[in-house]
Amino acid sequence: MIYAAPVTEVTIFGLSSGAVFALLALGLVLIYRTTGVLNFAHWAIGLMAVVTYAMMTAIGVPPQLAALLGLAMGVASGVLAYRLVFKRVGRGRQVIVILIAIGLAQFYSSVAQFALGFEQFTRLEPWLPTGDVDVGGVAIRASEIATAVSAIGIAFGFLVWFKLSRTGRALRAVAQNREAAMLAGIDDVKYSSIAWGIGSALAALALLLVLPHSAGTQGGIITTFDLTPFGTLLIPAFGAALVGGLVHLPMALVGGFVFGLARELLILAPKPWSDLRASVAAILILFLLLLRTERFFATRQELEALE
Amino acid sequence: MSLLRTRDVSIHFGGIAALNEVDIEVEQGEIVGLLGPNGAGKTTLFNVLSGFLKPAWGRILFQGDEISHLLPYERVAAGIGRTFQHVTLFRNLTVYENLLVAQHRHLSSGSFAAMLRLPGWRRDERDAKDRVEEILDVVNLRPWAEAHPTELSYGTTRFLELASVLSLQPKILLLDEPASGIQQKEVEALGPLLKKVRDERGCSILLIEHDMSLLLNASERIYALDFGKIIAEGTPNEVVSNDLVLESYLGRTRRATA
Amino acid sequence: MNVDVAIETKGDSPQITETFDTPPATRARGRRPTRSQLLGLASLAIISLVPVPFGDFGYFIGQYATIYAILGLSVVVVTGYAGLISLMPYSFAGIGAMATGAAMASWGWPFWLALPFAAAATVPFALFVGITSVRLKGLYLAIATLTISNALGETFFTWAPVTGGDSGHLVGRPVVGPIDFGSDLAFYLLCLGAVFVLLFMVEGLRTSRMGRAMLAVRDNELEAQALGINVAKTKLVAFVLSGMIAGLGGAFLAQLLISVTPNAFQSPFAEATSLLLVTLVAIGGMDRAIGAFVGAIALVVQQQVFNGFEFFFAFVGIYAAVVLIAFLLFRPGGLVQVGKILAALVRTRPALGISIIAIILVTNIGGAWLILSLS
Repeated sequence: MIYAAPVTEVTIFGLSSGAVFALLALGLVLIYRTTGVLNFAHWAIGLMAVVTYAMMTAIGVPPQLAALLGLAMGVASGVLAYRLVFKRVGRGRQVIVILIAIGLAQFYSSVAQFALGFEQFTRLEPWLPTGDVDVGGVAIRASEIATAVSAIGIAFGFLVWFKLSRTGRALRAVAQNREAAMLAGIDDVKYSSIAWGIGSALAALALLLVLPHSAGTQGGIITTFDLTPFGTLLIPAFGAALVGGLVHLPMALVGGFVFGLARELLILAPKPWSDLRASVAAILILFLLLLRTERFFATRQELEALE
Repeated sequence: MSLLRTRDVSIHFGGIAALNEVDIEVEQGEIVGLLGPNGAGKTTLFNVLSGFLKPAWGRILFQGDEISHLLPYERVAAGIGRTFQHVTLFRNLTVYENLLVAQHRHLSSGSFAAMLRLPGWRRDERDAKDRVEEILDVVNLRPWAEAHPTELSYGTTRFLELASVLSLQPKILLLDEPASGIQQKEVEALGPLLKKVRDERGCSILLIEHDMSLLLNASERIYALDFGKIIAEGTPNEVVSNDLVLESYLGRTRRATA
Repeated sequence: MNVDVAIETKGDSPQITETFDTPPATRARGRRPTRSQLLGLASLAIISLVPVPFGDFGYFIGQYATIYAILGLSVVVVTGYAGLISLMPYSFAGIGAMATGAAMASWGWPFWLALPFAAAATVPFALFVGITSVRLKGLYLAIATLTISNALGETFFTWAPVTGGDSGHLVGRPVVGPIDFGSDLAFYLLCLGAVFVLLFMVEGLRTSRMGRAMLAVRDNELEAQALGINVAKTKLVAFVLSGMIAGLGGAFLAQLLISVTPNAFQSPFAEATSLLLVTLVAIGGMDRAIGAFVGAIALVVQQQVFNGFEFFFAFVGIYAAVVLIAFLLFRPGGLVQVGKILAALVRTRPALGISIIAIILVTNIGGAWLILSLS
C-alpha cells in the first residue's frame, strides 16, 4: 500500500472539503431564499453542534449519539436565532440584518468559547471510522471518504426532498412571495423556522463531519482559530452559494465542489500557480460577484422580494 | 428649436415593445400632458428621458443636443428634473435636510473643504441654507422643516417632492402623476400651481396624469400613449374626444372626468 | 385639525399611520442649540481626564481607546454616512500600520512624514474596493470586503517588504521637534489630539455637500441620482476617505504596538477585529461621528473591567453580542440615539430623566467596581 499518491489523495480531499462547503452553502441558500437573511452566523451555529458534541463525549456519551445530540443543538440554535431575532427584523435595511447576523455569530462563538473553557485547543473524539482504507493502492483515511460520501448523499437527498415534498414546495412559495404564500394559507413563520432548522442542520452536519476528524486517528482538535473560521469555512461557503447566485440550490452544490477541488487541485499545479492556493477562493468570489450570478438564477421580482 | 425632442425612441422588455418609435416634442415654456392607460409606457418614457433606462434605439435631443449617452445626474445638470410615481424622498432625513440635498448641483465645495471648514465650504452652506429657507416659505413647508417625511401627510410629501425637484432649477420638469393619492382640493390647486411655476420660472412641464380635470386644465397640448405608441396628439379637447384614445380606456376604470 | 389616514407598507407588513395636518407643536425648531454643543465638548473633556488617576496604565488604555475611536470613524464615514457595508476596516488600518512601520523602521522617516504616507498608502486599495462597491449591492459588498480582507491577509500581509519579515517592524515613538512622545502621557495626548481633530473633521463632513450626498445615497440611491448626485463618485469618495482615516489610525496603532507584526492583519484576527469595529460603531451610533468615540470607550472599558477574570472574558463577548442585537432591533441609532432620547427626557420631564441617568451610571460603575475588586 502506498501512502499518498498525490492525485488520488488530493482529489479525495477536494471532494470531501467540497462536499462540506456544499452542505454549508445549501444551508446558506435555503435560509437566504426563504427569509432574506444572509446568515453570517451560519458557521457559528454549526459550531454550537460541535461544542455540544465535545461536551457530550467528554462526559462519556458514545460519539455517534453525541453527534446526534450535537445536530439537535445545531437545529435548535438556528431556529432560536430566527424566532427570537430575525423574525422581528422585517425586511428593513440590509445593513441592519447583516450587523445582527454578525452579532449573532459573535454570540454563538463566545458561547462556544465559554463552553470549551479557555484551552489552547480541545481534543475531539471522532465518530466516523478513522482507519486507513486502500483505494486503488493508496491509503486514504476512512473518515475522508465517509465525509465525502455522506455529505454528497445528504446534499442530494436534500435537493430531491426539496424539489418533491410538500414542505419543499411550501418553502419555495414562501421564498417567492411571502404575502401571497400567507394568503394561500401557508404559515410564513412556521416555514421560515423550518428553513432555518434545516439550514442549520446542514451547517451542523458540515462542521460535525470536519472538525472531529481533522487529525486522523487522533480525532480532531478545535483551536482558537477554529472558533473564527473565516477563511477555512465561511468564505468558501459564501463562494459556493454565489455560484448559484445565492438562490439556486443545485448550483450551490456544484459550487461547493468547485471551491473544494480548486483549492486542493492547485497543490498539483506547477510552482507559480500553486501559490494561488490561499487566495483562489477570493479570486473566484470576486469574479462571481462581478459576474452578478444572481441574474442567471432569479427573476427580478424574486430579487426584489429578497431586499 | 424645441426644448425637448425624442425621435423614434424604442425599448423592449422581453419581446414586448414598451416604447415603439415614440416621437414627442416639448417647446420652451409649454405644459404638455401625457395620458394613457396603465402599462402604456408613460413612466418608461420618463425613465428613458431622465436617463434611468437606455433605449434600444432612437434619439433624445435637449436644446438641440443629443443627450442619450448622459447619466441621470448629468441630465439633471443639463436641466431635466423628474419626479417618480411613488414618493421617493429621504426618509431618514428631515424635510429641511431633504431640501438641502436638492441643492447639490448648485454647490461646489468638496469633502476636504468641508472637513477643514474652509471658507469655500462656509460660503456653500450659507448659500444652500438661504435658498432652502426661501423655498420653505414659497411652498409653505416651514412648519414641517424638522419633521421626517414619514410624519407628513401624503399630500405634504408630494409638495416636498415638488419643492425638491424645483430646487434643481430645471428647464423642464417631468412630473409623474403628481395628483395621485392627494385630496381633491389639493388637486384643484395643482393646476394653477403648475402654471405659476411655468410662468415664474420659465420651465416647461411634461405631465403624466390620470386625473382628467388636472390634465385638461393645465396642459396646452396632450400626447396619448397606448402599448408604447403615440396614438393621438393635439389640444386637450381634440385628444379627449379622439376615438382611439377613448377605445384605449374602454373597460378600464379611471377617475371620472371633472 | 384634519387627520389623514394613510396606509403605508413598511417592509412587509402594512401599517396604518395617522398623520396630522397641523405640525407637531412640541418640535424644536432650528439647528442644534449651541448649549448642547458646549455640553458635548464638556463631556469630551471630562472623559479625556478619566485615565489620569490610573497613571501610565490609564494612559495606555486611553491610547487604545482613542485609536479604536479613529478606526471607528472610518466605519462611520463609509457605513454610517454612505451606507456601504465594509467589513474590512482593520485591513485598511493594517495597510497604514505597515506603511508606517516600513517608513519609520526601514527607511528612517520621521513620524510626521510617515503619517500622510500611511493615509496615502490606503488610497489604491480604497479605490479598488470603491469601484467594486459601485457595482455591488449591500450584502454582496459585505461578502466582497470580507473576502478581500481575507485575501489581503494571505497575500499582501505576507510579503516581506511590506511586513519587514516575520518579526515585523520595530517602530519607535515619535519625536517631533523638541517634543518626545515616548512617555505614555505624551503619546496619549497625541492620540487624543488626533482623535479630536478627526472627530471634528468627520462631523463637519456631515453638514456638507458631499456628506449629504452620502446620506442621500444611503437612504435612496434612485432619488439621489434624480437630484443630480453622482452616485458612483460619492461611493468612491466615501471609501477613499474611510480608507485614509483607517490608515491614519493604523499609523497610530503602529506606534501603540511598537512591534508591528503581520499576524494581527491576517486571518482570523483581521476579520474578527474588523467585525468588532463595525459592531462597536453600531452600538455607539453608526451615523454620527461621536458614535465611534462612544463605542470605542464602551469596548475598551468592558475589556478592561472583565480582563482580570477569564471566566468573564467570554462573557463579555456574549454580553456585547446581546447588547448589539438589542440595539439593532430596538434602537438602531445606538447609544447616541439613546443619549438623545434621554436628553429630550431630561428637558421635558427632568425628574424622571435625571433619575434614569443616575440609575444607569450607578449600576454600570457599581458593577464595574464590583467585578474589578473580585478579580
